[in-house]
Amino acid sequence: MNVAFLLNHAVLNLGKNKGRNILLLGITFAIITAIVVALSIFNATNVVIDETRTSLQSAVRLVSQMQAVGGGQNNTQMIAGNQSQATFTAEELANFANSQFVQGWDLQESPRGTEGIFYLVNPAMLADFEAELRSKGLPENYAVRTDEAAFASIVAPVESLQNLAMTFLVVVVALGAVIMALLSVIAIRERKYEIGVLRAMGLKKQKVAFIIWAETVIITAICFVLGLTAGNFLSQPISDNILAGQLSNAEITATTLAERIANESANGGETPNISGNLQVDIAINFVTAAQILAISLLLASLVGIISVSQITKSEPIKILMERT
Amino acid sequence: MLALKNISYKYEGTNRTIFKDVNLEFSPGKVYTIVGKSGAGKSTLLALLSGLDVATSGEIAYNGENLAKMNRNKYRARQIGMVFQSLNLIPTATALDNIILSMNISGVGGNKPRALELLKTMGISPEKSNRKILKLSGGEQQRIAIARAIAHNPPLIVADEPTGNLDKETESKVLKIFENIAHEQGKCVIIVTHSKRVAAVADEVWHVEKGVFRRFDGTINLPQTQKRRKK
Ligand SMILES: Nc1ncnc2c1ncn2[C@@H]1O[C@H](COP(=O)(O)OP(=O)(O)OP(=O)(O)O)[C@@H](O)[C@H]1O
Ligand SMILES: [Mg+2]
Repeated sequence: MNVAFLLNHAVLNLGKNKGRNILLLGITFAIITAIVVALSIFNATNVVIDETRTSLQSAVRLVSQMQAVGGGQNNTQMIAGNQSQATFTAEELANFANSQFVQGWDLQESPRGTEGIFYLVNPAMLADFEAELRSKGLPENYAVRTDEAAFASIVAPVESLQNLAMTFLVVVVALGAVIMALLSVIAIRERKYEIGVLRAMGLKKQKVAFIIWAETVIITAICFVLGLTAGNFLSQPISDNILAGQLSNAEITATTLAERIANESANGGETPNISGNLQVDIAINFVTAAQILAISLLLASLVGIISVSQITKSEPIKILMERT
Repeated sequence: MLALKNISYKYEGTNRTIFKDVNLEFSPGKVYTIVGKSGAGKSTLLALLSGLDVATSGEIAYNGENLAKMNRNKYRARQIGMVFQSLNLIPTATALDNIILSMNISGVGGNKPRALELLKTMGISPEKSNRKILKLSGGEQQRIAIARAIAHNPPLIVADEPTGNLDKETESKVLKIFENIAHEQGKCVIIVTHSKRVAAVADEVWHVEKGVFRRFDGTINLPQTQKRRKK
């Protein structure tokens, strides 16, 4: 006996029980759409956090420790060099910037004097870069720092969006699994008679289970395509809404790195309080789609496993007798 | 081809012995009928013969092999064609799909022309063949169940009151088909019936009562049958 026949029977079954299958389709669709929204937001926030980290943490300043301690400022807050402290000359800064770890640098005029910002090739190179600066004669009372505070303030609302998306994802997957499991138990109960007939005619349990599993997979596949489409439309507005809420809740508003730097130099190092445009752009890429497919198939398989255990429970003679 | 050796049977959780040390043998090329009162155990016997159930003690041998130790899925799919008392057709599928399903399960493969032809010989028109079982009459359903039992050409056919819903004329047509299958094609046909007309076509009639099978031979009359035959 071939698989084609079993699949064919599965497709026939789908057509036969329209009411139940439409219900199943709707529920599966809702579950998958919710998964798509949650997962795509989660993945997009990851990208934003990573990009912010790369861009912010690549920007390195030379910070006077004297000022940091003496001013009683929080160590993580970004403070530029002290006016009383001798700042570096353009030549010195150019010499510092001449490094394999630096991909570019800027000179900035601040009330404190000329300041240098070095953009690292990669934030992980910070320690190496610092060692190199020391060897070039950077005094010990200068710290080599990335812009942690800026990073934290920009990323905070994105991170809470991400946490929300993750929580939602876990809840939806768990709830989805429970709902699908219940539905499959009900479906098997409802189809007990049909299963009894198939078994009485000599169809193996595994093959009956395969038919039911194939039906679930077909429904899931349809819902996967529909859910991906719907989720694609829904996740951007949902994400924007949540993010807007996060931003207005948060005391600190964020701005892009460039704006920060520009404002900072104009204000003399005070962290500016300007609303920036924090964007989480959601596009469902291949990886997200593959993850969603994997979750969907996992749910379908769960249904398959439950179906098999249900079918294995009773012998055909019992099923057929119960009916008559 | 099918031999019952000291078969005893009790339904699980009950005290009543349905069969006690039954010894029976069914051979190819013959029509057998099993008669007996309602509740005597006729359907139970067929469940044992078809491997849907297993005897409490004793052994059923199919071509010398112990049924209890065989792959009974395969046995049911290939060796046996069964007409259930409650028909057990799939109500939401068409007559044709029911037949093709059985062909597929048995491994002979779905064959639409053969299925339609078979239904036609049972008096089911192609139009009715494409109708769902739900929308067919009891007698039509019964004939479809018979068609399903013989569609995959099994060497053994067991039928539980296969003509209960049929008029005399249709019944005799169906009986002809059963006779033909046994006598021309050499299959073994076992029919459970209350009808003396059905019993009359059998090569052997067995009567079951209180767990014991007794053969009606030529010397024992089946009163009703004799009367009807005279007409
Ligand atoms: N699952 C079961 N559990 C317990 N007892 C059962 C079960 N099925 C049938 N019986 C009993 O076993 C006896 C034989 O039943 P069976 O169905 O074989 O009778 P039958 O000869 O086919 O009757 P009928 O002519 O009415 O179809 C009956 O008394 C019935 O009540
Ligand atoms: Mg019966």
